[in-house]
Amino acid sequence: MSEVGASRASWNTYRDVEVSFKVNGKEVRVRVKPYERLLDVLRNKLGLLSVKEGCGRGECGSCVVIMNGKLIPTCLTLAVRAEGSEILTLEGIAPEGKLHAIQKALLDTYSMQCGFCFPGVIMASKYLLDKNPDPTEDEIRDALDGNICRCGSYLRFIKAVKLASKYIKEGKVFFDESEVLR
Amino acid sequence: MSTIPEYYKIVEEVFEKYKDKEFLFVGRHTQRWDSIEKIKGRALFTADFTRLYSNLVYVHSVRTKYAHARIKSIDVSEASKYPGVLRVITAKDIPGINDVGYVIPDQPLIADRKVRYIGDIVALVVAENPLVAREAGELISVEYEPLPVITNPLDVVDLMTLKEKPHTLVHDERGSDILVHYKIRRGDIEKAMREADVKVEGVYKTPFQEHAYMEPEASIAIPEPDGSVTVIASTQCPFDVRKAVAKVLGLTLNKVRIVVPAVGGGFGGKEDVANEVAAKAALAAVLTGRPALAVHTREESIIGHSKRHPMIAWYRHAAKKDGTLVAVEANVVMDGGAYASLGPFVPWRATVHATGPYKVQSARVDVVRVYTNNVYAGAFRGFGNPQVIFAVERQMDLLAEELGMDPVELRLKNILRVGDETVHGQKLTEEHGVGLEEAVMKAVEASNWFELRRRYSEITGPVRKGIGIALFYHGNSIGVEGADYSSVTLIINRDGSVSIRTGLTEFGQGSTWGLALIAAEILGVPPSYFKIENPDTSATPDAGPTVASRATVMGGAATVVAAYKLRKRLNEVASHILGCDPDDVVIRAPDVYCSSDPSRRTRWADVVEQSFWLGVPLQEFGYYRAPRALWDEETGQGAPYITYTFGAIVADVDVDIETGLVKVNKIFTAYDIGKVINRMGAELNAEGGAIQALGYALMEEIIHDKEGRVSNPNLSTYYVPTIKDVPEIIPLWVEAKYRKGPLGAKGFGEPSFNAVAAAIANAVAHAIRANVTELPITPERVYMLLKNKQKT
Repeated sequence: MSEVGASRASWNTYRDVEVSFKVNGKEVRVRVKPYERLLDVLRNKLGLLSVKEGCGRGECGSCVVIMNGKLIPTCLTLAVRAEGSEILTLEGIAPEGKLHAIQKALLDTYSMQCGFCFPGVIMASKYLLDKNPDPTEDEIRDALDGNICRCGSYLRFIKAVKLASKYIKEGKVFFDESEVLR
Repeated sequence: MSTIPEYYKIVEEVFEKYKDKEFLFVGRHTQRWDSIEKIKGRALFTADFTRLYSNLVYVHSVRTKYAHARIKSIDVSEASKYPGVLRVITAKDIPGINDVGYVIPDQPLIADRKVRYIGDIVALVVAENPLVAREAGELISVEYEPLPVITNPLDVVDLMTLKEKPHTLVHDERGSDILVHYKIRRGDIEKAMREADVKVEGVYKTPFQEHAYMEPEASIAIPEPDGSVTVIASTQCPFDVRKAVAKVLGLTLNKVRIVVPAVGGGFGGKEDVANEVAAKAALAAVLTGRPALAVHTREESIIGHSKRHPMIAWYRHAAKKDGTLVAVEANVVMDGGAYASLGPFVPWRATVHATGPYKVQSARVDVVRVYTNNVYAGAFRGFGNPQVIFAVERQMDLLAEELGMDPVELRLKNILRVGDETVHGQKLTEEHGVGLEEAVMKAVEASNWFELRRRYSEITGPVRKGIGIALFYHGNSIGVEGADYSSVTLIINRDGSVSIRTGLTEFGQGSTWGLALIAAEILGVPPSYFKIENPDTSATPDAGPTVASRATVMGGAATVVAAYKLRKRLNEVASHILGCDPDDVVIRAPDVYCSSDPSRRTRWADVVEQSFWLGVPLQEFGYYRAPRALWDEETGQGAPYITYTFGAIVADVDVDIETGLVKVNKIFTAYDIGKVINRMGAELNAEGGAIQALGYALMEEIIHDKEGRVSNPNLSTYYVPTIKDVPEIIPLWVEAKYRKGPLGAKGFGEPSFNAVAAAIANAVAHAIRANVTELPITPERVYMLLKNKQKT
């Protein structure tokens, strides 16, 4: 028998804390528990369901977002840490009805399998291209090394990031969704 | 019942009609119907529905502390009183039958009498806050009487005699821990062995492999006003989940509804564990009257769901001087862990394929699957075949070496071609589509085999190079495992768009999109008109499980039947509008015209509208059941599968003999999958299967300690390939068409995994000139191989 649960303060006893930050360009204010993960707050309180939980330990890359210009695993980030920050999730990378060049390139390269890792892969690719608009294959492999895709679309990701880089250099950052499905 | 069903005739008629035609959609690159929702991150996976239910409760599983113990008592009083806890559920609270075994009833949902592995559940705690549920779980007191833990299958059975050894039974209620024993008996094995010129033998081992699909298991159950329950579930087999939930709750099947949203990977792993997870959620929902979420953490997923069966196998191959294979003997032990899961079937597939895609005159094969206290083993892409392929293909290389032949030369001497009999006495004909030789030639040519094999053999120094080949065949669909049927409903809507309803599920593999392409081709309507509905046991027809690479072959055949009948009716309506013969009608939506006079034309939408007003049904149900497979239990003779997918893999590797690290440079995959239906899906499976198998070859292994605990239950200790591990993969295709398949297609999901690890192993053996007998080929194992070689 274990006494661990009985001897420490219960999760029940924590009070809410108010946190304000900007997500996808919009100011938000949410009440959170001090132990709550940013992942759960983005998903359950703000409805940003593109942020996926694959492992909860920062090992798979499914939940990464860009926070203050850095790529972070939201499963290892407490929501209170988001105070005053600017966060970008997949929902915010292209306007309604449009696809970002990375999304377009992933479809052009026929890379879709189950799609669960895609939000993380797209955010990691965006983070890479923001810093390095013309990455080499090795640089792409380094940048996406933290994103596990068990279906194994990795080779397509390399092609897609290169293609997206080309699109962006040509000034084509956004595409109409209707251009893709014919 | 002696008449040939209409659906056979339709599938064959359609094959004949299209076999020489150029396809508009089939075999081409197309964007799936769910592309936009997935690329935008909007596709809803099971756990994403959490937000829809404001009064949701969480179900936490309290798992055993011992891998093998009797349960003397359970006290949940403290946990039940804990603030925030709504309900604690133990075995005695189950209204129906406490069992979630997939094939046989050997697996309690909640352990009552004893625990058999470290993932067994002893109680469920239901609370509004998942952290509170977990906290309360720690207050549950279970009195255990620990039993000896068995983690080595050779403590259960002897490899050479296959006799059960005295031990503390994992399943004492069964009286034996040998679940199944399958056999092949062909020819006079003793005589063949005596008269052979050369023999090679060895013992081969393969590990537990984890599916590691990115979406962990999840279910949300919603209690309905009429006493029924709806479950949103991450599963490959909604109708099997329905059966399991109904059994646990004591409900009739029509009172359980399973809905499958987007699924984040399966690979065979989301067959049986989905039953357990759905049943947990359903139980909590029914007992609390509130929507309930059961979701596994990654660690729970790894310790609590099925794995690829580990294998220990002894093989002996015998051949004549000219390389003709004359006899194969094998004793194969598969570790099934604590429960049967798919265990009655996996060893059967291993047995069928136990001698590889070769002509074997004499064979004696015995395969047993035993219970241990390890995490249970079940279905995983390949289903028993990759394990025996590893052993067989290593043996073939040893034999080639012994005979002084090139490995390709030896294989070509013995491979199955049209007119040959398999080891089961099944005669392969043109009708099956047998493209193995062509696959071998393509892989050999593309990889520059003969040149590199010679050149790599001469390399010295710290980095060695190797090139290896492995072949396989893979029986399509489920064979004699059960009723092999599938079904779809095609619905043309009033605006001309098309809906497909089927119980087959999409979990990344793309096969249901293949159904849309088949229907598009036959109806003459572009794929962009199609939508595939989510599987829903209250709306989509029971199509059998989405397993065994059967969705394209079986579901595709059912789609052919439905599309053929619809097209026939629509041609008649169009003929009525256009005034030409029904056979003269061309549908190329949005246009419809007469082939003999294209100026006589109308619109697809008009044909649909006319059909509606004429009372011509715009919906059609398609059903297909595979011809019965044959198998003699004593001799393994018969015709175990309807047809076979074939393949040849060549791997090119570097081995650093100072660090033991293996780097795969290139993998050439030549597959005969009959007619390629979904080009994108086929290519992605070829790549994805190869990558998963690269992990199996080099790094993946679930390790149990001697107490039966999993030593590496997360993704930082259980390694899967990342983008940095991936070599160049060159997919090559052979299309030896299966005439009774939809447009000539054969299955491909599992075959894409099958022989890649064996090819890598053969390449490593070539590079280091040592006998690789165990997977994964970690740096430590390479080091030991080199060290042992120095000794001898």
